This record gives sequence, structure tokens and C-alpha cells, in this order.
Amino acid sequence: MAAIELEGLTKDYGEVLANDDVTFTVERGEIFGYLGPNGAGKTTTIRTVLGLLSPTDGSARLLGHDVTNEGELIEAKRRLGYLPDSPAFDETATGREILELHASIKGDERSDELLELFDPPLDRPVRDYSHGNVRKLGLVTTFMHEPELVILDEPTGGLDPLMQHRFAEFLRDERERGVTVFFSSHILGEVRRLCDRVGIIRNGRLVTVEPVESLLDRSGKVVRLRAADPIPYDALEIDGVHDLEATLDRGADSEDSARDDSKSAFTECTFTFTGDVNALLERLREYTLLDLSIEEAPLEDVFMRFYGGEVDGEESTAAGRQGTPTEVTDDV
Amino acid sequence: MFELTRYDGRHRLKGSVYLSIAMSLLAVIVIWIYPSFSGSFEDVDEEFLQAYPDQIIQMFNIQTMASLEGFLAFELYVFGWIILLGLYLAYLAAGTIAGDVERGRMDILLSMPISRARTVGEKFASLGVPIVVVNVITPVVVYVTALLVGEPLSAADLAAVHLLSIPYLFACAGIGLLASVVGDRTSIAQRIALGVTFGLFMLESLLSGTDYEAIGAIAPMRYFDPNEILLESTYDLVGAGVLIAMTVACVVVSQLWFRRRDIQ
Repeated sequence: MAAIELEGLTKDYGEVLANDDVTFTVERGEIFGYLGPNGAGKTTTIRTVLGLLSPTDGSARLLGHDVTNEGELIEAKRRLGYLPDSPAFDETATGREILELHASIKGDERSDELLELFDPPLDRPVRDYSHGNVRKLGLVTTFMHEPELVILDEPTGGLDPLMQHRFAEFLRDERERGVTVFFSSHILGEVRRLCDRVGIIRNGRLVTVEPVESLLDRSGKVVRLRAADPIPYDALEIDGVHDLEATLDRGADSEDSARDDSKSAFTECTFTFTGDVNALLERLREYTLLDLSIEEAPLEDVFMRFYGGEVDGEESTAAGRQGTPTEVTDDV
Repeated sequence: MFELTRYDGRHRLKGSVYLSIAMSLLAVIVIWIYPSFSGSFEDVDEEFLQAYPDQIIQMFNIQTMASLEGFLAFELYVFGWIILLGLYLAYLAAGTIAGDVERGRMDILLSMPISRARTVGEKFASLGVPIVVVNVITPVVVYVTALLVGEPLSAADLAAVHLLSIPYLFACAGIGLLASVVGDRTSIAQRIALGVTFGLFMLESLLSGTDYEAIGAIAPMRYFDPNEILLESTYDLVGAGVLIAMTVACVVVSQLWFRRRDIQ
């Protein structure tokens, strides 16, 4: 029995198709990242899985239980922890009162241990909490009853870097204990650090579900090189070169500085390379290089390949991007 | 069971005591001015009530001001309980579900193993705290103050008027609860609740005595009459039963509605 099973899940708001035929399975014991830009439909999927929204079509099962049946849903929720993207608690209550309420309804196996790790000011009313402290309290309420499955919507927003690091360590330990983690994010570094598999959603449609490594393979490499003498652009006209950015620097004492060849040659460049590395090295062999680095492309670039020009609201200005249509998504 | 009721109820306790103090103050002022008020007329009903337009007399169901009971029935119970407290409870109830949904608190609440119907029911039940507290503290203050001004009241009638106001206030809260599950935003739910409750009061009082009096039967105000209790010692238990039935109906419809709706 899988932790989460979605089959053709669709949520149609009339003017927006927030989730369109989304199908995937989250296996027991894995950390599954649900990746997409803001407004892609991540939160809609999560809210449907939790029974907060009813699907227009398709089905969702949580720990083997049909979420559209309230009795079954409640059974699943006994073993579930959920942290929304902006967790909210009764503002007049203190953190301690909130924890007592949660303990009375779903039990408390390990809040002491969690409070050592995430340390919200329990005796202050929630109204005086910072965003980070609300989230820390939320993490305690999410994990305090030893859930088998936790669903986290954008979990690290509002946490400082130290707390983010601690949180990542914590999630890995949870996985070791057998907990299944499903979390959504628009931050690639986070997904890359934590996930076993990743599902990518765009405009309400699931684009792909892959192990995180295969996504990195697919994304290719970032190549940076610096040459002693100008290299003609022709040299890089091979398959798999994207986003080429190059500059020409002949040096001040160059004899033929009057000649304008900046349009046809370069001495320094950066590009994303998805082709065969041997073919690239073959091309470069005849030039004297001062420096060359070939690194794994950041997941941000993988993201760009799926989402085109829009990542987190930031317009890409890189020219020559191939096969990546640009679409703007609505907030859902 | 009742974890949410206990939690919400505890948080309503302080506000309920403040509410009781406010209502007790109103009661003390009304009782305190009564002797000088009644002393300044030969025949209060003859001289004073003539000065009021008939519509006002009808709206507030003013029977007599020649006794403290009649004076209290109008000044404190029709005005303070039926109108002010009725509206307040409707307003309070309207904030329960809508407030949690609007502020995002419902997400975490419903991630716990608890049904939506139970959530609605338990949150509604916590409104019993202000309803009961105000009806326990105020009558004591009313009774003692009446003794002090030398106009003793029947303890049984006083207890009855407060006891029978409890189903009335729950019915008003039921209207607020309905608004709370239907309205998307707290402010809208509260406006609906206040509008409907006040509208029902107007409907009931203005239609009584006309050919359309039967329409007023949908208003909770028809089933709670302080005058009848204080002046005639008549306790309308059937009316109380109707109010309880109205409350149950409002809660059940709210639960069914809330079970089906999407929580955005």
C-alpha cells in the first residue's frame, strides 16, 4: 500500500484548471518532492489529498484510504502530519495551549524531543510569534504524534538558514525511521538536498516524476572556459550547447586590437551543455585553454527546461534557449 | 470528545465574564433609576406610555411600566437580551467557522482526525460558555439590586426568564453559525448574521397583530417573551422546545453544508 496514490486527479475551478489529470504514487519510506512555480497547482493537489477540497474528477488515496470518504479520511489522518504553507494557529492562545489541544486530539509521543530541536517560545501567545516561530510550532504539531506520513507545503519558508539545515537533517533522520515525507517546494536547492524522487507540476499538469539523480543527468553540465587566444563561435556549434554567454578580451597590449571580431570570437564563455562531453573536448583540443570547468548544472536549470522563462516570478533574459516555451501561470 | 469545545470554551471564559459585567451594569442602572422614574408619574402607563408612538410600543412589546417587572421586561430583557445579546451571539457564532477558515486555522484543525461535523458541533457548543455565564451572573445582580431599591422580584420568575433565554440565545447563535459556514469571509458572515437576526426581530414585532402574523413564526423572538414570564409567571415551555428545535436544525444544516464545501 503506497503512502499517497493519485489517479487522474482533477480540480476545475471553472476559470482555472488547477489540477489536470494528475497521476502519481508516493511510496512508503521515501522523501518525495513536489516541485513547481508558485501557482502551478501544488497546494491544490495537497489540499485535495487532505480532503479540504473535493476533486472534480479522479481519485486520491492517503495511506490506502479514499479521501472522499470522510470516515476513511479520518482513519488516514490518525497517522498523518500536515504543515500548511503558512501555518496559522489561534493567536490568543500560547504555544503550550496549542500543543495541549493537539495532544488531546491526536496524541503526543515526542513533543519534548521535537521542542529541543525546534524551539518555539511556548509560554508566549502565538500573536507575538515571528513567522519562523509559528513554523517551528507547526513542525512540532506535525510530528508530535509519530505520523507515518507527513505532508509539508513549502516547509522551509520563514526558517533561518541554521534552522533550514537542522530541518533537512531532521527529515533525513525521519526517513531513516521509516516516515514517508511528501513536500512541495519551488526552491530547487531544497529538493535536491532532500528528495529521493521529484514530481514536477506546471500549469496544473504533472510534467514528470523522476528520481532526483536522473533529473540532474538530464539537465547536463555547466561549462566555463577561458582561453589564451580568441576562439571562433563556430567551434561551439555542436549539439547540446545552450545559453551561451561569451566575452572577448584580447588584452591591452594586443597588436590587432583595432580589428573588430567580438561578434565572431570569444576568450571567455559560460554555457549549459547537454551533449556528449567527448565531442565537446574534441572541439576544444586545438585551443589553448587557461581554465576549464565542467560542473553539474544546478537544479534551477532543470527547472528552466521544464518551465521556460519563468522561475519564481523572475523572467529569464538568456537568449538562445531551446525547446522551452514560456508560459505564465495563474496563481491558484 | 469535546476537546475543541473545552479548548474554545476556556478561551471564551474571560470575555464571557466581561460580557456579564456589562449586562449587569445595564441591569443595575435600569433598576436603580426605576424608583425615581415611577415616582415622577401619577400613573406611569397612562402618562408615559402615551408619549411613545404605538409602533415603538409594539416593536418592543411594552406591556406596562407601572411595576419594576414591566420596566425590566422592556428596558433590560427585550432591549438587552432579545436584541443586544441575540445580535451579539449571532455575531459571535458567525465568527467561529468563517474566522478559522479565513485565517487558515481550519487547515491544521482539520488535519487532525476529527470530522467536519464534529468540528462545527463542538465549536458551536463552546458558545454555551458566554450564554450560560451571562445568565448566571446577571440574575444574581438583578435580584440583589432590586432588593436594595426596595422593589423585590420573584426569584422564580427571574430564574425562569434567564433560563428560558438560554434556548433563545442558542437559536440566535444557530443563525450566526449558518452564516459562518455559508459566508466565505468572517466580515461577510458577521454582517449576514446581524442582518438576518435583526430582520427576524423586526419581522416578528412589526407583523404581530396583522394578517401576516404567521410569518413571524420563523423568528426565534416569537418564542421567548420576558413580559409573560415576569408579569404573569407564565413559562412557555413549548416555545423553549421550538427554540431548541430551531437550534438543532441550524446546527445540523450547518454541519451538512460544511461537510460538502471546499475549504480554500
